[in-house]
Amino acid sequence: MDMSGERRIAANCKTVWAALNDPEILKQCIPGCESLEMQSPTDMTARVKLQIGPVKATFNGKVKLTELDPPNGYRITGEGSGGVAGFAKGSASVHLTENGRDTLMRYEVKADVGGKLAQLGGRLIDSTAKKLADEFFEKFTALVGPVTAPSAAPATTTKKVGWFKRWFGKNEPVAASR
Amino acid sequence: MNIAVPTREQREAKLEGMGCKRKRVEDIRFTQGKGNYVDDVKLPGMLFGDFVRSQYAHARIKKIDASAALKVPGVLAVLTAEELKGVNLAWMPTLAGDVQMVLADGKVLFQSQEIAFVVAEDRYAAADGVEAVEVEYEDLPVLVDAFKALAPDAPLLREDIKDKMIGAHGPRKHHNHIFEWSMGDKDLTDAAFATAEVTTKDVISYHRTHPSPLETCQCVASFDKIKGELTVWGTFQAPHVIRTVASLLSKIPEHKIHIIAPDIGGGFGNKVGAYPGYICAIVASIVTGKPVKWVEDRIENLTATSFARDYHMTTEIAATKDGKVTALRVHVLADHGAFDACADPSKWPAGFFNICTGSYDFPVAHLVVDGIYTNKAPGGVAYRCSFRVTEAAYCIERAMDIMAQKLGMDAAEFRLKNFVRREQFPYHSALGWEYDSGDYHTAMNKAMEAIGYQQLRAEQAAKRAAFQRGETRDLRGIGISFFTEIVGAGPSRNCDILGVAMFDSCEIRVHPTGAAIARMGTKSQGQGHETTYAQIIATEIGIPADDIMVEEGNTDTAPYGLGTYGSRSTPVAGAAIAMASRKIKAKAQMIAAYMLEVHEDDLEWDIDGFRVKGLPEKYKGMKEIAWAAYNSPPPGLEPGLEAVSYYDPPNMTYPFGAYFCVMDIDVDTGVYKIRRFYALDDCGTRINPMIIEGQVHGGLTEAFAIAMGQEIRYDEIGNVVGGSFMDFFIPTAVETPKWETDYTVTPSPHHPIGAKGVGESPNVGGVPCFSNAVNDAFSFLGSRHIQMPHDHWRIWEVAKGLGLHG
Repeated sequence: MDMSGERRIAANCKTVWAALNDPEILKQCIPGCESLEMQSPTDMTARVKLQIGPVKATFNGKVKLTELDPPNGYRITGEGSGGVAGFAKGSASVHLTENGRDTLMRYEVKADVGGKLAQLGGRLIDSTAKKLADEFFEKFTALVGPVTAPSAAPATTTKKVGWFKRWFGKNEPVAASR
Repeated sequence: MNIAVPTREQREAKLEGMGCKRKRVEDIRFTQGKGNYVDDVKLPGMLFGDFVRSQYAHARIKKIDASAALKVPGVLAVLTAEELKGVNLAWMPTLAGDVQMVLADGKVLFQSQEIAFVVAEDRYAAADGVEAVEVEYEDLPVLVDAFKALAPDAPLLREDIKDKMIGAHGPRKHHNHIFEWSMGDKDLTDAAFATAEVTTKDVISYHRTHPSPLETCQCVASFDKIKGELTVWGTFQAPHVIRTVASLLSKIPEHKIHIIAPDIGGGFGNKVGAYPGYICAIVASIVTGKPVKWVEDRIENLTATSFARDYHMTTEIAATKDGKVTALRVHVLADHGAFDACADPSKWPAGFFNICTGSYDFPVAHLVVDGIYTNKAPGGVAYRCSFRVTEAAYCIERAMDIMAQKLGMDAAEFRLKNFVRREQFPYHSALGWEYDSGDYHTAMNKAMEAIGYQQLRAEQAAKRAAFQRGETRDLRGIGISFFTEIVGAGPSRNCDILGVAMFDSCEIRVHPTGAAIARMGTKSQGQGHETTYAQIIATEIGIPADDIMVEEGNTDTAPYGLGTYGSRSTPVAGAAIAMASRKIKAKAQMIAAYMLEVHEDDLEWDIDGFRVKGLPEKYKGMKEIAWAAYNSPPPGLEPGLEAVSYYDPPNMTYPFGAYFCVMDIDVDTGVYKIRRFYALDDCGTRINPMIIEGQVHGGLTEAFAIAMGQEIRYDEIGNVVGGSFMDFFIPTAVETPKWETDYTVTPSPHHPIGAKGVGESPNVGGVPCFSNAVNDAFSFLGSRHIQMPHDHWRIWEVAKGLGLHG
């Protein structure tokens, strides 16, 4: 799936950037996140409990930050395995721009979901992803700064969406796809 | 006391022989929940096995860690390819001359592929164990598009045979190529096309689908270490073949293997092959010394245990301007998935696809089939059809419609003009078959009259005019198909499975009281063999069908046979029944002659016994003869009354039929309504008209499912989408139309009772008929070939593409 969107956050760029790099904040924001540990400044491991439709699983995954351009953005890449439930992999590029006293966060996501998740949960993945991303941003903006309305309508072209968003969590979703 | 002598009609009726609408005897137990299926087999100490399956369509396996699984309470063992290598069973041969992984050896090649087999004390523990096995993958590029398989840079799927460029069916021209198979005369065909007045060329795809029987595949394997004997209860359409293959693979002598196929809840080709589940259950039983049961769930069945179709058929017809066909040229791209495990007779890598000249007199034809590997499940079973015959019928019946459209001819008239004529039988087709018998014009004319064809076309024209005036949003489609099948595999000269000739068999024992048991090499999965086979014997030797028990499925007691698929039971085993019966009748005649003190030539058969010619009161019924056969046989004749016959058919049989479908399509929603569906079948001699009708109803319902939505679809990374009943279309009574059935009778000249087989005809003829109806509905708006399946969404897309949504 491909998904992109934009979100306005009532905090300056530096604050948002710091939060995006703070495993404690991310951990609190990612729904179902049981652990998120910094292995190095650019590598994390995560453990997330998730349910999509009939498939319920604990995902263990690795997250890597590249193309770091503080405080303007990075690319976050991850892959995780939920054992018999399937797998997901993907990346999101995140760009921050200051807009008055707020920050505009733009993101573009590319992801693949495979295995039982895709077999069974295919039709539920989009809506689940949207719900998870909403939850993430609610928390993130609450922690980082008071939220205001999205500055632009986000757009998606989605075939399948991953759960991984919840532990990458960079996104404000998102119009329904198709 | 006056005893009424039964009339001939009464005696005949009592037999319930051929032609009688005898009620199905097996339904007495089925309708009362007293069937005995594999899952009803429960043995003391029985263990359960369950598979860890691949989440990836193509990946290297870096590690399998079963340590956590082995700590799950109740889990006893986890088998992987490493363990199976110890007994040389990590790979197994396929029916098509390829090899297939039993458990993933180094890599996985399709989603849901078997990776490890967890053996536990109960199903729950096995499932928990499966969840606890950790598999580490490294994903590889995925190939799901058949048209990209032979590209120079296509991913290499089969590393095990990458240097083996000669396959089971000749040279391979690419690492994802399996075989090239060609039939017919290329030069003559090319020449006919070069000078043709009118030609058509279309890629006609028959999508991947699945037989999806109600009961999934399953088995119970029990190895007796003391006796060194293996017993396997399983969902086997061909129990003897399984025994032979099991013996060859396991090195257990064949007489120490007992294969039992109990009641089977539908097969449709899905239960012909040997699957990793069977092998793993057997190995697990040998390892643990306990019985091991394996029962797959629905998703496993749909995603991993075989598939059907997946043929992309580039079809060209050459014709004269006045509508006479002059040549047929077909190239097939056959997607076989990750391993070539197609269930075809060994010398026929594309089955009997060369029946694709259909019911038409093509002077020349040429066919090339390229088999290829992709990252999809292996299998290629004949889902309610003889080997690749439904693909062939779809290809020719669609192409004939397309050509009729191009010529501006009526599709029925075009067919009538090109049919093989009655006097041409036995007919030698341009692609090598000898059609045994047929009367296509009679069948087609009867069907057209019954459905009121001209009236339907007039209604359609009126409806189209109304549509174009904007008065209706419905389109009327009239679908026609006139199929010729090829069933009853098959003659040993050209049909075998791994070297085992495709004869079939019957053993009949008449008991002293005149009752009888018949044991068969075939295996019913719902076809009603217990009913119909007894009817053949009843007519042949005059024992009432109710006094005959038909037994199948136990390899210890049944004579060796090749099983039930490809509509072969009646054409092959049905013939064996007649031949065994005739042996019994011959001996009975000798006994009757002795009892009546005449020469046996002075006797004539009379319904249920022998009568002295010219002396009608001198009569001995089969009951008396049977008693005498055991207790007072003629001097010099050994006692008993039994016979066995192994029947090697001289030719296939060629059932045919004319089907019509009337369909209305709402262009704004894509929703269709089947207004009428009329099916005329000619299966030769009709043994039980009620069972034939049931077969036709079932086959049409499956054809309806396939044409209108049933599909195993893969996304671009090889996920199976549609691998559960949430997506896979199984029609219920709500969706299923009403079926009108009819028949003509053109007996097979070479079959002892003239029967041809019918179970699969409606699937073969039905699919093109539905598809032609959808295509016909849109054809006047300029559409040419609309690919199956025709679900509502796709039909809506077609309407949208034609600009019908404003």
